[in-house]
Amino acid sequence: MSEPKRTIIGFVCERSLPIDRMLDANKALLDDPETKFVIVPCSGMVKPTLMEAALANGADATFVCGCAIGDCHYRTGNLMIRERLEGKRNPKLRKTTDRRKVGMFFVTMKDRTAFLEALAQFKAGLEPKPVPQEG
Amino acid sequence: MYRKFLRLTKSLTVSFEKVVNFLTTQEQNPLYFHGALPLYVFWFLIFSGILLWMYYIPTLDRAWSSVNYISALPTPGDPINLAGGIPYGAVVRGIHRWGAAAMMIVTLLHMFRVYFTDRHRSWRWLPWITGVGLLLFVLFVGLSGYLLVWDARAYFIVVATQHLFDGLPVIGGALSAFLVGGEGITDYTLTRFLFFHVGGAVTIFFLVWMHFIRLKEPVVTPARATNFLLLGFILLAAGTLPAINITHELLLKYGSDPRIAAQAAYVASDAPAQIGTLVETIRYDAWYMFPYWLIQNVGVTWSWLILGGSTVLLCVAPFYPKDRRANIAEVIEAKCTGCTFCSLDCPFEAITMVERAPGSKFKQIAVVQAARCSECGICVGACPFQAIELPELHSKTLEADLMALVKKGA
Repeated sequence: MSEPKRTIIGFVCERSLPIDRMLDANKALLDDPETKFVIVPCSGMVKPTLMEAALANGADATFVCGCAIGDCHYRTGNLMIRERLEGKRNPKLRKTTDRRKVGMFFVTMKDRTAFLEALAQFKAGLEPKPVPQEG
Repeated sequence: MYRKFLRLTKSLTVSFEKVVNFLTTQEQNPLYFHGALPLYVFWFLIFSGILLWMYYIPTLDRAWSSVNYISALPTPGDPINLAGGIPYGAVVRGIHRWGAAAMMIVTLLHMFRVYFTDRHRSWRWLPWITGVGLLLFVLFVGLSGYLLVWDARAYFIVVATQHLFDGLPVIGGALSAFLVGGEGITDYTLTRFLFFHVGGAVTIFFLVWMHFIRLKEPVVTPARATNFLLLGFILLAAGTLPAINITHELLLKYGSDPRIAAQAAYVASDAPAQIGTLVETIRYDAWYMFPYWLIQNVGVTWSWLILGGSTVLLCVAPFYPKDRRANIAEVIEAKCTGCTFCSLDCPFEAITMVERAPGSKFKQIAVVQAARCSECGICVGACPFQAIELPELHSKTLEADLMALVKKGA
């Protein structure tokens, strides 16, 4: 495996993904060492400021991963963080934050593959776009 | 061991729902709205029930024929009924009848979904216990509905229930008399049954309020596709399998009437009740009449033990196994500005805003009611001032975790 180029920080609800089987000792994702997890009891515990802090301190992107919408173990945690990141509920994500670098995934503990696919798509969006040539 | 069982049921439930998600998409998965389903079906029962109530006559001699009149079917010896009936009455009765079956099915679905995903314990005891009450009331209201038809089956149920009550020491006889409103069955008995049925339904609303009281923004409406699908199922059942009164006697007499001939396959009620004449066995409705199936098959004592025992088991379920409960949210008094965000976002209504002492800097302070706290940390996410924390996962710890990861990657 090549040396990781980027750092992507995921705030992951301990009830969404099967975390025990997905991480190495450094909390990096086995399938994708660029991605590292901070584990929280519920995605609703994540503050937008925490995600802003991740970006400000050297992370190339950050995301939150919670239970499937409608199936939060604590009823509304995933809805709360989604609304906060969408700017619909206080405290909100700062409007100056680059939205391309802030992701949200809502998956069940059987959706490991689906999550990895969505993560790959999210990372593809981070690639610098070629500047269109005028002429 | 028991925890392992709960983990297994959760895993199986999620696997099953993954299949449903594939079929319906995550947004429309009816299993993600399982709590809203019984309430949704309940509205059907309320509205169809009000319509039926307008034509129902709670007397011994007219109850059965008034139900027949609603279904627009002729009753021997009843000239009014021969003249006509309620347009689409059979369909409304069908909605009420099949809606009742749907009610029990979705209520049980809700109960098992909650239990299998381990969402019935600890701080959720109140919704669970009131849910057990709701289940019993749904059973009670459904059963009393079968009595109102006042056919041979209804009479059988009354006698069997009195038999069941008589098996109880001390209070048995009184309960038995209370059921029918006196020593014997009279017109007052049916008035009483009508009260049981309607009064029970009103009590369900009261219990639903208690069921919701500790839930922030309970989900009360299923997804749109589920709404239409359920509506479609109930209407389809009501339109094709009307719950009508047809007896063999009627069939013989009016078999040439196409209205009867067409429906003959779906016999829903028996012959009118005749007090003193008990049929040997009844057609058991799987969702509501299992207690009577039990009485007939295992006897009164065992029936009480099984029914009482399962109710007791349901009532103790939320208190076992016990969790550590070491991570209950704590408010940091010096930092709390009384902004109410945590109290608004707490999914279990565990945080209340309390007035601070006169002369203090801020007007209010958040107070956590420990027994209601789920230790989820949503309040921590809601607080812009870092004034509420989980003792075992301080937001400083989270920040430190984050910094360590960012540095390692850099």
